[in-house]
Amino acid sequence: MSAPQVRRLELIAVAVIAALLLVGIPLLHANGAISNFTIGVWGKYLCYALLAISVDLLWGYTGLLSLGQALFFTLGGYMHGMYLMRMIGDLGQYKKPIPDFLVFLGWERLPAFWEPFASFPFAMAMVLLVPGIIAYVFGYLAFRSRIKGVYFSILTQALTYAASIMFFRNNLLLGGNNGFTDFKFLLGYKLNEPATTRALYLATAITVLLVFLFCRWLSKTKFGLVQQAIRDGENRVLFSGYATSHFKLFIFVIAALIAAVGGALYTPQVGSINPGEMQADKSLEAVVWVAVGGRGTLLGPIVGAITINALKSWATRAYPDLWLLILGGLFVLVVLFLPGGIVSIPARLKTLWQKFRSAPPPSDPTPASSPPTPLSASAKS
Amino acid sequence: MITKLTSLLGAGAIALGAALGTAHAADTVKVGVLHSLSGTMAISETSLRDILLFTFDEINAKGGVLGKKIQPVVVDGASNWPLFAEKAKQLLEQDKVAVTFGCWTSVSRKSVLPVYEKNNGLLFYPVQYEGEEESKNVAYTAEAVNQQATPAVDYYLAEGKKKFYLLGSDYVYPQTTNLVLLEYLLSKGVKLENIGGGFRKDGSGKIISAGKYTPFGHMDYQQIIAEIKQFAASGDACVISTLNGDTNVPFFKEYAAAGLTAETCPVVSFSISEDEFRGLPAKQLVGQLGCWTYFQSIDTPANKKFVADFQAWLKKSNVPGLVKEGRVTCSPMVLSYVGVYLWKAAVEKAGSFDVDKVRAAYQSGLSFDGPGGRVTTQKNMHVTKNVFIGETKADGQFKIVKSFQNVYGEPWLKGKFQAK
Amino acid sequence: MSDSPVHRLPPTILFIVVAALGACVACAQGAAAPTPRQLIAEAALTDDAAKKRELIGRLMGQGDPAIALLLEAWRTDVLFVYTAPDGAKVPVLLSGEKDAAGKQPATRVDTNALLTDAASAPLRLAATDLTAAEHTSSLRRAMKAVLDLADLAAPEPAKRTKAILTIGLAQDVEKLPALKARLAIETDESVKRALRESIAIAQLKDPSNETKLAALGELKELRSLASTDFITRALKEAEEAKDPVLAGGARAALRAVESHRSFVDFFGTLFRGVSLGSILLVAALGLAITFGLMRVINMAHGEMIAVGAYTTYLVQNIFATGITIPFFGFSLPIFGLNLTGAAYQWYFIAALPLSFITAALVGIGLERSVIRFLYRRPLESLLATWGVSLVMQQGLRLMFGANNVQVSSPVYLSGNWLVNDIILGWNRVFVIGFAILIVFGMWLVLTKTPLGLLIRASMQNRTMASCMGVRTERVNMLTFGLGSGLAGLAGAFLSQIGNVGPSLGQGYIIDSFMVVVVGGVGSIGGTILSAFGIGGIDQVLQQYLPYIAPGLTWVPGIGSFLQNLAQDAAVFGKILVLAGIILFLQWKPAGLFVTRSRNLED
Repeated sequence: MSAPQVRRLELIAVAVIAALLLVGIPLLHANGAISNFTIGVWGKYLCYALLAISVDLLWGYTGLLSLGQALFFTLGGYMHGMYLMRMIGDLGQYKKPIPDFLVFLGWERLPAFWEPFASFPFAMAMVLLVPGIIAYVFGYLAFRSRIKGVYFSILTQALTYAASIMFFRNNLLLGGNNGFTDFKFLLGYKLNEPATTRALYLATAITVLLVFLFCRWLSKTKFGLVQQAIRDGENRVLFSGYATSHFKLFIFVIAALIAAVGGALYTPQVGSINPGEMQADKSLEAVVWVAVGGRGTLLGPIVGAITINALKSWATRAYPDLWLLILGGLFVLVVLFLPGGIVSIPARLKTLWQKFRSAPPPSDPTPASSPPTPLSASAKS
Repeated sequence: MITKLTSLLGAGAIALGAALGTAHAADTVKVGVLHSLSGTMAISETSLRDILLFTFDEINAKGGVLGKKIQPVVVDGASNWPLFAEKAKQLLEQDKVAVTFGCWTSVSRKSVLPVYEKNNGLLFYPVQYEGEEESKNVAYTAEAVNQQATPAVDYYLAEGKKKFYLLGSDYVYPQTTNLVLLEYLLSKGVKLENIGGGFRKDGSGKIISAGKYTPFGHMDYQQIIAEIKQFAASGDACVISTLNGDTNVPFFKEYAAAGLTAETCPVVSFSISEDEFRGLPAKQLVGQLGCWTYFQSIDTPANKKFVADFQAWLKKSNVPGLVKEGRVTCSPMVLSYVGVYLWKAAVEKAGSFDVDKVRAAYQSGLSFDGPGGRVTTQKNMHVTKNVFIGETKADGQFKIVKSFQNVYGEPWLKGKFQAK
Repeated sequence: MSDSPVHRLPPTILFIVVAALGACVACAQGAAAPTPRQLIAEAALTDDAAKKRELIGRLMGQGDPAIALLLEAWRTDVLFVYTAPDGAKVPVLLSGEKDAAGKQPATRVDTNALLTDAASAPLRLAATDLTAAEHTSSLRRAMKAVLDLADLAAPEPAKRTKAILTIGLAQDVEKLPALKARLAIETDESVKRALRESIAIAQLKDPSNETKLAALGELKELRSLASTDFITRALKEAEEAKDPVLAGGARAALRAVESHRSFVDFFGTLFRGVSLGSILLVAALGLAITFGLMRVINMAHGEMIAVGAYTTYLVQNIFATGITIPFFGFSLPIFGLNLTGAAYQWYFIAALPLSFITAALVGIGLERSVIRFLYRRPLESLLATWGVSLVMQQGLRLMFGANNVQVSSPVYLSGNWLVNDIILGWNRVFVIGFAILIVFGMWLVLTKTPLGLLIRASMQNRTMASCMGVRTERVNMLTFGLGSGLAGLAGAFLSQIGNVGPSLGQGYIIDSFMVVVVGGVGSIGGTILSAFGIGGIDQVLQQYLPYIAPGLTWVPGIGSFLQNLAQDAAVFGKILVLAGIILFLQWKPAGLFVTRSRNLED
C-alpha cells in the first residue's frame, strides 16, 4: 500500500469509529435501543481511554513509564467532585448546606478552600491547574536531575502512594476514604436523568476525539518528532543540542492535563470519587491497557482501555472466581507474543497471509501500519 | 486499516455481549449478590457470598419465596468501588434483581447508594458500620455503633477499667466510632487524660478526632505497642481497637511479643469475628474480647442447627473456589442470613416483590428468630438485636461473658452523649 | 442507651444459683468459717460474677497450698462441675489413671475426698462429659491477686516480680508488711528493685507526709515508669493541700521518671529502627538480585514472598495434624506427622530451607516460561510479571481460600527481654540476626563460589560472558532462582511478623522497590544501607513527630492540618519517608551507590 492510501484508510477508520461513538451510541440510546446502563458503562470506558492516552503519550511516545497518571486522573476527578458536592446543597443526610462529612467532623460552615468551588468555571480551572501544577513541580524536579527509566517509574509510584495515604485521611477535609458520592446536580441538570447521562457521554466522546486529534497533530510536528527521538535515544538527542528535559516536562504536564480531564468527566458518570482510584495498581492497570491495545499508537490506548474494561465487566459477572486468572494470563501473553498490541494484529495477519501465499517478499518487508516500536524493544526481533 | 476497525468492533461486541441479560424464567426471582471475590476485600467478603448461596438453597428447598425459587446473580465487585457502582447498576437495570445482598466496606456502600436511590432498589447491608446514614433503599442489618462499641465500653467500665486507649485504621469507620466513643467515655465520667491515643483539635481547640491511627496494610506496630505498654504500666488500662482485618495480625503478634496479655491490658476488637480468627495467631489472643450480635458458640438449638446445616451444605456444594475445611460462622455471615429471611418475610407480608411494598412491610416491624436470637426490623431500616461480648479462646471461638437483650439500632449517635 | 444489661440465664442454671445461694446461707449460719476449699467450691457454683469475685477475694492471704492448685486448675479449664443424678452440683477435679473409656477418679473440691455415688462407691468420670467451671478475665484477675500474694514466695524471680508489681500498682497498703518482709530476705537484684518500687508506690497512699516524701525520693531514684500516674496524682494532692515540700518532691520525681522515659524512648526507637530495617532488608534482598543485578522488574516478587509464607504454613500443618487443600474443586489431602511439644516447635526451622527451595523452584519456572524472553525489555518485564502476580494471587486464593491463614509463632520467637525498660522482642532480635546471616551468606555465594563469579560476570556483561563460554542462560535461571528463593525465605520470616494471605506480597512490594532504588540498583551494599536508613528514619519520625506537632501551627493556612497530621505519626511518617525518597533521588539520581557503566543509554 502506498502512503497516501494508508492515510486515507486510517482516516476512514477513525471517522467510522468516531461516528459510531459520537452519533451511533447516543442515537440508539435516545431511541431506547441502548440502556442507560450500557451508555453509562461506555462513558466510563471512554474516560479510561483518556487516561490510557495520557499514559501512551508518555510511555509510547516519550519512553517515560509514569505510574502516576492515576493520581492526576483522580485529582481531576476530585476537583470536579468538589463542585458536585457543593451542588448537593442541603439535600444531604444531615440536611445542612455543607457536605455531610464536614458536618460530621464538626464543621459548622464551609472551610475557606471549599468556598469558590460553587462556581463551575472555577472548578473546571482547578481541574486543569491542580494536576498541572503538581505535574510541573514534580516533573521539573525529576527531569532536572535526569531521573529516567525505572527510577522515574518508581518515583511516580512513590508520589501516588504518598498522595493516596494523604487522601485517605479525614483531616484533609476531602471525605477521607469514602471520598465524594451522592451527587445530585450538574449545571442545574439532574444527574440521574437519562438525558444528562447521554449528554455526559457525548461530552466524553467529543473530548476523546479532540484529544485524539490533538495528539495526532502533535506527533506529526517537529515537537512530536523530537519527543519520539527522546524515546529512542535520549543522549543522542541531548548531544544534538536539544534540551530534552524541557520537552519531557512539557509532555508530562500535557499528559497530566489529559488524565485530569478524563477524571473530571469520570466523576459525574460513575457517581463517586475516592482515594482508592489513585492507588498504585490503578496506574499499572492503565499501563496494561496501553500495552494490550498497542503502545506507541494513538488508537491503541483507546482500543486497549475499552477492550480490557469490557472484558472485566463481562468476566466479573460471568467468571467471578477466575477472571483474574484470565486477565493476568492475557497480560503475560500479550507482552510475550504480541508486543504491538491488538492494533498490530491486522499487520501481523497480513504478513502471515503474504507468507501463506508464498509470494516473493515485497521490497519493503515492514508493513506500513506496524506501530513504531522502540529501539530497545526491536533489538530482540 | 479496515481490519483495525473490525478489531475495535470486536472489542465492542464483547462488551455488548456482556450487556445482554440472561433469560427470565417465570417461576424464579432474581436476587443480586454483590461482594468482592477478588482483591483485598475478598478476604472477608467471600464468606458472605458462601452463606448467601447456602441461605438461598435452604429457602429454595422449602419452596422459595411466594412460590418462586431464588435465582442468585453473583457478581464480583473486585474491591474496586467504581466497579461496585457499575455492578450495582448492572444488577438493577439489566438483571432487574428484586433485592441485592452485598457490600462490606462503607466506601463500597456509599459508592452504590446513589445507584440504589436512583433505581429505587433495595440493598441489604450486613457489616458493622459507623452509622450517620439512613437511606430508604438500604436495609442495615449491620451492627450500629451502639450495638457494638458502646456495649463494649459498658462492659469494660463494669470490669473496673479506668484508662482507655483508642486505636484504629485510618478511615471513616474507626474515626467515627472513636469520636462517638470519646463522647460516650466522657459522659461516663472518664477523664480526658485517661483516654489514650492522642487527640486532634481544630483551630478553636475543639476535639475533632480521637485515637491513634495507622494506614491500611500497616505492618509495623512496635512503636504503638511501646506506647501502649507505657500507658498500661500503671494498671486498669484497656485497648479499644478498630483496626481493620489485615493489620490485626502484626498488631497482636507484636502485642503478645511485648508481654502484654488480656489480664494486664485487654483489647476489644470490633472487626475480628470467628472468620477473621482463621488467619490470626489464636493462642496469642486468648482472653481478648470481641463484641458482636452473634457468636458461633451461642448455645441454643437454633444456632446449633444453623451451624450444622451450613457445614453439611459446604460438604456437598460444588461452588468453585469454595473452601470446605475449617469453616466457621460469624456475625456478618449471620446478619446476611438473617437479612435474606427478613426480606422473605417482608415479601410474603407484602405479597409482592415490589420494592416500595416490601419496604413498607419491612418497616412495619417484622421479627425473625435467627441463630443469634430474635431480630426485629425498625422504622429507620435498622434492626433491633441482641449484643454479646465474648472472650476469645485458643480454638478461635468466643466464650460469651455478657449479653445485652434487644438493643435498638441507632444510626445517629454523634452529639448524643454529653460529658458530665 | 436505655437498655439495661440482663443476663441470659437458662432456667436450669437459675435453679442451681438459687440452690447454691441457699447452701451458702446455710454454711454462713454454721459456726466455723468456711475453709479455702469450701470457698472455692462455692465460687465455682455461683453464677453471680460479683459474688464469685468476692468469694475468691476472701482467699487472700490464706496460706493453704490447695488454693494455688485449685485456682490454677480453674484457670486452665480442668476444674469441672459434676451434676449428680439428683440435680445437685459438685465441683470436682479429675486425677489418676484414665481407663479405656477415658474415665478418671474424681476428687471433690470442697472436701478433697473422693466423689462417691449414693451408695458411697467411688465414681469415675470422663472430662469430656463434664462442663468446666466458668471464668472471665475479671475473675481471673481476682484469682491472680490471690495467687500473687502466694507468688511472693515463688521460686522463679519473674513470677515474684509480676506478683510484687501487681500488689504495688493496686496501692494496697494492707499488703505493705508482706512486701517489706519479702524485701528483707530477697536476694535477687531485679526482684529487689520491683519490691522497692511497689512499696514506694503503695506508700504514696500513706497518710504521713514524711513517708510520702521518702517514697517520692525512692521513686525518683528508681526512675519507675509505672509510677507516673501515681506521682502525678500525688502532685495534684500536694498542690491542693498547698504543701510545697511534697509538691517539690513529686515534681523532682516526675522529672527523673520523664528523663528516664526519654532514654527508654530513644534506645527503644533505635532498636525498633534496626529491626524494621532488617525486615525491609530481608524483604528487599531477593529484589536486589532480580532487579538490581538482573534488571528484571519483577512485580511478582511479593508473590514469591507469599509462596515462602504459605510454605511455612504448610510445614506447620504437616508437623501438626495435616491439612486438606481444595484445588479447583478437588481436595488434596496432606498427611500430618502429629508432632507435639518440643518436636513440633521445630517446624519453623524446617520451614526455612523449604520456603527457600519452593520459592526458588517457582522462580525458576517463572524465569523459564516468561522472563527469559524479556531480558532486553525491562519495562515490559514489569507488565508481564504484574500479570503473573495477579494470576498467582488468585491461584493462592483458590488453593488456600481468600482468608488469611494461621501461622503460630514457636515458643522461642514469642517472648521478650526487658532490658532497662526497653522491650526487645525475641522475634525482632531473631530477624536482626537472620538478616545479618542472609547478607553474610549472600556475600559468600557471590564472592567466594564459582557460581557467584559466573553470576557477577553474566550480570556485568552478558554478551561478553557468553563469548567466554559461560552458559548465561543457565546462570540467568539460577540467579533468578536465588533471588526468588531469598524472597521465599523472607516470606517464612514475615509469617512470624505479619499476616499470611493471598495479597501478603502487595504490602511489601513498593517498600522493597524503594529500598533497592535508594540503595542504588545493582549494589547490594547500597540496599543494606538504605534498608537500615529508611527503617531508622521511619521509626524516629513515628516516635518524635507528635512532640513537634504543637510547633507546626505557625504554617499559614494549613497549620492546624499539619499539626493534626503530625499527631498521626504512623501515617505522616510514611508520607515523609516517601517525600524524602523523592527529594533524595534529586540529589543522587542513581541511588546511594552508583554502578558505573560506559554504555551510552545506561
